[in-house]
Parts: sequence; structure tokens; C-alpha cells
Amino acid sequence: MHPAPRRSQRRLTPFFSSLLAAFALPAVSPAQTPPPPPIASYEISCRLDTDRKTVEGTELLTWTNRTTRPADTLRFHLYLNAFRNTRSTLWKESRGEAREGRLLESWGSVEIVRITLQDNTDLLPMLSYISPDDGNPDDRTVAEIRLPRPVAPGETIGVAIDFRSKLPRVSRRTGYKGDFYLVAQWFPKIGVLQESGWNCHQFHAWSEFFSDFGDYDVSVDVPARYKGRVGATGRQVEERVSTAGDRVVYRFRQAGVHDFTWTADPGYLVLRDRFHEAGLHDVDLTLLLQPEHSRQAERHFRAVRAAISGYGRVLGAYPYDTFTIVDPPWGARAAGGMEYPTLITAGTSISPPASIHSPEGVTIHEFGHQFFYGLLASNEFEEPYLDEGFNTYMTDRVLAAAFGPDHPYLSIFGLRFALGIDLHYPVDANRRYFAEATRDIHAAESWRFRDRAAYGAMSYSHTALALATLERLLTTNAMDRALRLYADRWRFRHPTIRDFIAAVNDTAGRDWTWFFDRTFFSSNDVDYAVEEATSVPAKAPKGLFEKDGKLAEGPPAPLAKPRGYDSVVTVTRRGATALPVEILLRFEGGRIHRASWDGEARWTRFTVSQGPKLLEAIVDPEEKILLDADRFNNGRRVEGDPRAAARWTSRTVFWAQNLFDFLTVAW
Amino acid sequence: MSPRHPFHCFLRGLALSLSKPYLAVSLWLVQLLLSAVLILPISNTLHDLLDNSVAGSRMVANPDYGWWETLQREHPELLGNFADLTAGLLTPEGVKSSQLSGLRGIGATAVSLAFFAVVLHAFALGGVFGTLREPKASLVTFGREGMRRFPPFLLFTLAALAAAGAAYRWIYLESGEALRNRMMELDSEGRALAINALRVLALLFALAAIKLLADSVRAIWVARPDLPPISRFFAGIAAALSHPARLLGVLLFYALVTAALYTVWLWLDPSAGGEARFALVPLILTQQVFVFVRLLVKVGYYAGISEALTRVPSPEYSYAASPAPAPSAAPPEAGARDEGPIDNPAGGI
Repeated sequence: MHPAPRRSQRRLTPFFSSLLAAFALPAVSPAQTPPPPPIASYEISCRLDTDRKTVEGTELLTWTNRTTRPADTLRFHLYLNAFRNTRSTLWKESRGEAREGRLLESWGSVEIVRITLQDNTDLLPMLSYISPDDGNPDDRTVAEIRLPRPVAPGETIGVAIDFRSKLPRVSRRTGYKGDFYLVAQWFPKIGVLQESGWNCHQFHAWSEFFSDFGDYDVSVDVPARYKGRVGATGRQVEERVSTAGDRVVYRFRQAGVHDFTWTADPGYLVLRDRFHEAGLHDVDLTLLLQPEHSRQAERHFRAVRAAISGYGRVLGAYPYDTFTIVDPPWGARAAGGMEYPTLITAGTSISPPASIHSPEGVTIHEFGHQFFYGLLASNEFEEPYLDEGFNTYMTDRVLAAAFGPDHPYLSIFGLRFALGIDLHYPVDANRRYFAEATRDIHAAESWRFRDRAAYGAMSYSHTALALATLERLLTTNAMDRALRLYADRWRFRHPTIRDFIAAVNDTAGRDWTWFFDRTFFSSNDVDYAVEEATSVPAKAPKGLFEKDGKLAEGPPAPLAKPRGYDSVVTVTRRGATALPVEILLRFEGGRIHRASWDGEARWTRFTVSQGPKLLEAIVDPEEKILLDADRFNNGRRVEGDPRAAARWTSRTVFWAQNLFDFLTVAW
Repeated sequence: MSPRHPFHCFLRGLALSLSKPYLAVSLWLVQLLLSAVLILPISNTLHDLLDNSVAGSRMVANPDYGWWETLQREHPELLGNFADLTAGLLTPEGVKSSQLSGLRGIGATAVSLAFFAVVLHAFALGGVFGTLREPKASLVTFGREGMRRFPPFLLFTLAALAAAGAAYRWIYLESGEALRNRMMELDSEGRALAINALRVLALLFALAAIKLLADSVRAIWVARPDLPPISRFFAGIAAALSHPARLLGVLLFYALVTAALYTVWLWLDPSAGGEARFALVPLILTQQVFVFVRLLVKVGYYAGISEALTRVPSPEYSYAASPAPAPSAAPPEAGARDEGPIDNPAGGI
């Protein structure tokens, strides 16, 4: 065993002091809401066979019916069966495409070999496969078991299961690559029984998960070469080498979580650190890093410390004692960027420039899921934006506060080079939304999105921008109070978007449902523009005017010599969604006129007669409406400034000359 | 150091280039005229988008990522997939010819102009190689020599271009496709990058070989008008094959000097900083001076190749005494059937 280096505990640095200042709420007490009584607890013993790429195990499920209705069936997720063949719903929906390329034709499965109640009643004959979402008869990711007698409300039963899981080569979240194992969604897992019945969805192409809280006690038996190189959900409580010395068993325990994942790789560098900050819960950090990324250890730790602090100060302390970051190896990045209770997979490249937020972005985001998915265990199948989008919003805030703007990079044959252009949070980080803005309903069930691009744009980016817009309309302080109220009310429970809206309304003291109706439950876009901004010297009126009781040509004396300028500004709503906006008119001499517009009509016009000369008009000058698809039409100057266009023309033509020369010199 | 050392050849080439600056001027004018086709569309578009936008003032000095993303999204007709295409050239996956169908507007025009530039370059190379061999040459010589050599030089250029395209496809794209799954099974990203580097090096080596063969054929073609065309062609190939290190050395020095020039340009970055660093007119002048200096080096490279292969002057030119033709020998024109008669090879017309 290679002893893992112990990193020194750090004091609160100026960096964290500045981060604290970015979040206005006072520090929370480490004493948080304790987990409620468990609903689904598991004791699992499993053995990894590295030759056959299988995990065989026994599972004792203790499940309590917390509804008011008896349950005459049980439903189980058998997620690994999504990799069983090309007729599964995963394969059909994705058409063989995965986030990191193609799904590999390496098959996986999970079989229930034996399933009995505590009185040894054999339930296997009562097992059938169902497809509640799409009726696909070939999908075996949900199993239903008809019970010999219903489980009464409040009753607890024990179910013993023997299972055999075959792991696929990693191409989507779980599996192996060489000696690396990321064993996720690997055991038969009970669904969530609600008053309306079982909520147990199939494994879809771009959906995640939903489970009840419970206590996990899991023993993992791996070959001895993995000694000291196993990580998992929860705290390791035991390491036991077999008598023959060829195997080693690790035991992990964690209460108050709703999933369990483990990983093993003899190549891991195991690094440890400890998070400590006044007012938050101390956390033991473990980083399982690939050797070729050894120089990025501090970047991972710095990111996770920023995340624990930033999220904790808004949403309440991260309540668990441990947190593990897994760095998947080259070729297994499809296992990266994924959240599990107290354990995440991040992902980086061999030499990311210091000025780009990788691995910081993914590390902070996946940590954030400890709140949005972990503690606030929303239904990721049905409301994917409630974890991904809310988490993206918070990720952007933490990244902006702790690391400043990001930078795009140019990938030259696999090596990344940062470009000296700032990417600002949250708008630049979520620009993919704008390209998809009107392609789908923003708040849809995850498997009903048109495609992966729409799912990503809506669930992640749209929600982040909508919440950032809400923050600017409410004020940051009010938004933080709403988030905190939501988090406190729903910690260790299953909230929905309605619960967040209620928290906002309760915090704001008025009804903001209209905002969510327009931005979440529609497929409309937002775009305001200053269509016209003119300012011309005022002219004397012409025509017939009353003079001494008679009509005469020419204006009376007071009107004959007008002063100042006549200015006209027309603001239009090009997008279908109406939101209230401010309009700023800037005049010569530093005079400013501000107006509010409810944005409901398609246009509004401002006319100023004989006033100072208008310089520019800007709609939404403080950039509150971050959902605005084209911010560059939000302002208009009366007199054009050709400098930028001229300089960029010269630059572009210069590089065109160089491009031509490059092409001609070659041949 | 031998006078045939690549460094010497390159230096002599640079000296020749400096002694005939009108050659670089000619190339600069050709490139400027080609680029001029783009000036108005780009300028009009940018003025239309930026002049009255309050975002425009922010962009005098610095690029704005949001503006660029919005431009591509809101105005796909301006560039199409031009940005993705150029960035794709630098990726391990490369760019397939089918992706050209995604080009639009200014992007499509730029790529078409690039092909046109290649054709014009065939003319320019005839002028450069021909003029370099005349001690009393002028811009007129450049034009005359360019026109004389244009048909065969265009053929060489197109053949080299086709060979380069084939090399890109078969050495780079196909190897990437064949290795893609195996690369994922490697132990580390470092190894994958090393394999990518080997692919890039193999491609660069192939492209360098194609270029040197083409340049060698051009140099010999001009230097040996006494030979029949087919013999000149093979003599050019043979010259490249017999002096590969020397030619590669000249190319390497050329690449290094050019890379150094770009490094200096990017380091100084005269375009940055808005008007704090360079006002518009000085900026444009600086840019064009840079292009001109680069073209001086480029002409120097071609002269260096010529020097590396053909130090003995061509018999058709007057600055060196041609061997007296034997009474029974065929007239020189017989060996140059592909070219028109030269009335006054010393440079005048």
C-alpha cells in the first residue's frame, strides 16, 4: 500500500474571505436538519470480478411505505439493463450517440438471481419487466414485483436480493476501462412510492435519477492490487485483507443519501485535504487523481473548497463528513462530470491553461449537485431543470466570485491554448440556450426533449439564465433568502418547481408565478431592441396658426424660434416573452431619463421635444434580463461611431491576407 | 560552411530578394487585391452592426465573445460554418471536404478567393523564378516570365494541391478514423497526444515533400529551358531527390524566420489596445509593412531553392556567357517548344 499524502489543514485565506463577501448571507450553523427516518436502506456485499467485468452481490433492502396507501407491488430500477442491447430505450432514444461520442457496443446488464421477503417468500416468479414511460417491450430497466400481500402504510419490510451486474466499457457514466472501474447505477434499486403510485422511470438517453433517502452499508471486495485505491459514497469504516492476501474488502457507510457509487483504479493518486470554515461543517476531502494530472491536484481542491463555502453560505452547510472527487482516466471521460452522493466524477485534460475553468467548472458544478439532487432530491427524470439548471446558476455564481471570468480556448491537435477573451458568467457560459431558445418547452420532462442539444440548453442554460434574471429583478439578497428558504424547507425531501415558486413568493411577499409561467413553462424567447433613436434640431412649426383671433400663416412668436432638439426613441419587443424592462435615454450635458415599460406591447415610443440632444438609448441598461437573446440590439447611439468597425475591418483583412499567403506558399 | 549549405542558400536567397524588392511588392499587390474583394463586404457589415450599437464602443479595443456568438447565431448567412471550419483544421479529427457546403456569404467568398489566390500564385511563381535568374530584371520581367510559365506552373500547382489534399485525407483523416477507438484504449492522454503529434508530423513531412518537389520542378523548369519539358520535369524531381536535406534545410530556415515574424507580431500585437497603441492609419500601415516583410522572406525562400539547385546560369540568359553552340547543334528553341521565343532575354522588351 502506498500511503496517501496528508495535506495540511488550511486556514481561511484572503481568497475565501473575498468569496464570503460575495455571498451576503450570514454563516449558517453546522447543526442542520437531521436526515428524516430512512425510507430505503441498503446493506450490500459485492465482489468485483475483473476478468469477467462483473459485480456479484447480495443486497438487503429495508423499505418503509411512507404513503397513506397500501402498496401491493414493488418497483425496481435495473439501470444497467439500459446497456443490455440496442433495443433498450437508452439506445433507441440516443440513436447510439453519447455525450462523448458513440455509445460503445460493450454490453452491460443486471440480473436479479434471487429475491425473497424476510420470511423467505420467493418473489422471483412475480417479477415482470415494465416500461411505464414509452411502452418499449424490450427495455428492462424497470422491474415490477407483485407482492403476496400489500405493504401497509407505515409498515417496513425487508427484501433480500442476489444480483449479478455485468459492467459495460464506459461510454455513458458507468462501467470500466482497463483497470478503472466506476460502478454506478449497479444494483437493483427500489423506486419512489408516492401517493399517486410508483415513480420509477426507465433509463433514458438524457435523464438522470430519482430515489428515496436511506442508510447505506456497503462492502466491496476487490483484488488486492486495488488496495488503497477504492473510493465510494460515505466514509470508509473497514479495510480487510483476505487470508490468502489476494483480495481486499472495503466497507463504507453513509446515512441520509439516496444512492451509492464506488470506484477503483490501481493507478489513482490518492490525495487528501480537509475543508474547514467557520460556520460550516468540516469535510474530509479525498481526490482520486490520474497520475498524468498530478499537477492539477490543488486546482481540484481549491475548486471544491470554493464550492463547499459558496453553496454552503447560501443553501446551508454541506452536512456530510466526507467528499470524494474522482478523476476518470483517458478514454473513460464518459464517466466524468457526474454526481453521486458524497462522490463526484470530475474530468480534466493533460494541460489545461491556468486561465480556463477546467477542471474548476466541472468540480464546482458536480459538487453543487450535493445540494441540487443530493439534499434537495428533486425528480431528475421529470424536472431536470430543478437540479441541473438551479445548480448551473449557483455554479456560475461561485465561479464568478472565486475565479473571475473564464476564457475560451483553442484546441490545437488536442492541446488547449487559452485565448485572451473574457467569458462572463452567467451569460457567456450559457450562450447555448440562445441557439435553442424556441425549439422546445423550457421546463419539460427529460425524455421528452427534442434532442440532447435542446435538453442541455433548456435544463442547464435556460434555467441558469432565468434564475439569474430573477435574481436581478428581486435583488441578490432576496434571491438568496428565497433559495435558503427553499433549501431549508426541502432538505432531505423531494421538492418540485412549485415549492421553489412558493419560496420565492413567500420571500418577496408577492406573487411571482407569472415570471415562471413566462420563462419556464413556455417555448418563447426574449428579445428587446432599440429600433430607432434620432435627435434633430427642433424646427419651427409650419402652417396656419391663430394670431389675434384669425388664422394666419406662420407660427406665433413663442414657437417661431424653437430651441434644442426633437428626439424620438422606439423600443420594440421582438421576442414573444414579455418582461418588464427599464429604458435609459442619455442626453448631452449628462442628463439621463429613465423609464419603465411593462413590455407587454410590441413597441413603445418616447418623444422629447426641444430637449437636449439625445446621445443614446438603451433598453435594460443594467442588464437584468439575461434571457435577452440579442443584447447587441439593446442600445442605439444617435450618431454612429465608426471606430470599432474600421479597426475590425483592418484586422480581418490583414488576417485574410495572411490566410491567402499561407495557402499559396504551400503549393 | 559549404556554399551549398542550406543556411547559405537561404541567406543568398534573402539577399536576392532584397535586391529585387519589386518581386515582394508584386506578391503583396496580388494579395492586397485579393483581400480587397473582402474589404467592402466586411466593412459594410461591421459598420452596419457596430456603428450605432452601444456595444460598438466596447469593441474598439477588445473582441467581445458575446458579440461574436450573437453574430454567428443571428446572421448565419454572413459566414456559415467558416469559424468551425478553420478551428477544425487544427483538431485531431480534421476537416472533411463535405463541410465546405456549410460556408455562406463572406466565409464562402473568402474560401473561393483562397483558391483563386492559389491560381494567381502559379503565375506569380513563374515571374519570381524567371526574374530571379536575370540580373537586370524589372517588374516587366516579372509579368512576362509569369505569363510564359503560367500553363505548366498552374499544372504543377494544381498537381501539388491535389497531392496535398490526398495527403491530408489519407495520412491525417484516415489515420485519425482508423485510430480513433484504439486511441481511447491507450493508458493516458499523453500517449494519445503523442500519436496525434506523429500524425501531424507525418502530414507536415508529406506536405513539405510535395512542396519541395513542386518548387524543385519549378526551379529546374526555369533554369533548364534547353531540355524538353518532360526532361525538365524529371530533372526537377531528380534534383529534389538528390538534395533532399539541402532543400528541407532551406524550407526549415524559411519556416523558422516566418514563425519568428509571427511571434514578434503576436507579441507586439499592434491591433490591440484600441487607439491607445496605434491609430487606424498607422495600424493599417504597420499591418501592410508586416505583410511586405513576410513576402520578402517568402521570395527569399524561392530564391534560396533556386540557389540550392541551380547555381549555373541558364544558357538563355545574357548575364553569363552561354557555351557557344556547336554548328551542328539544334537551335535552343527546339528544346523549349513549350515557350514562346524570347526576343531580348536580358530583361528588356
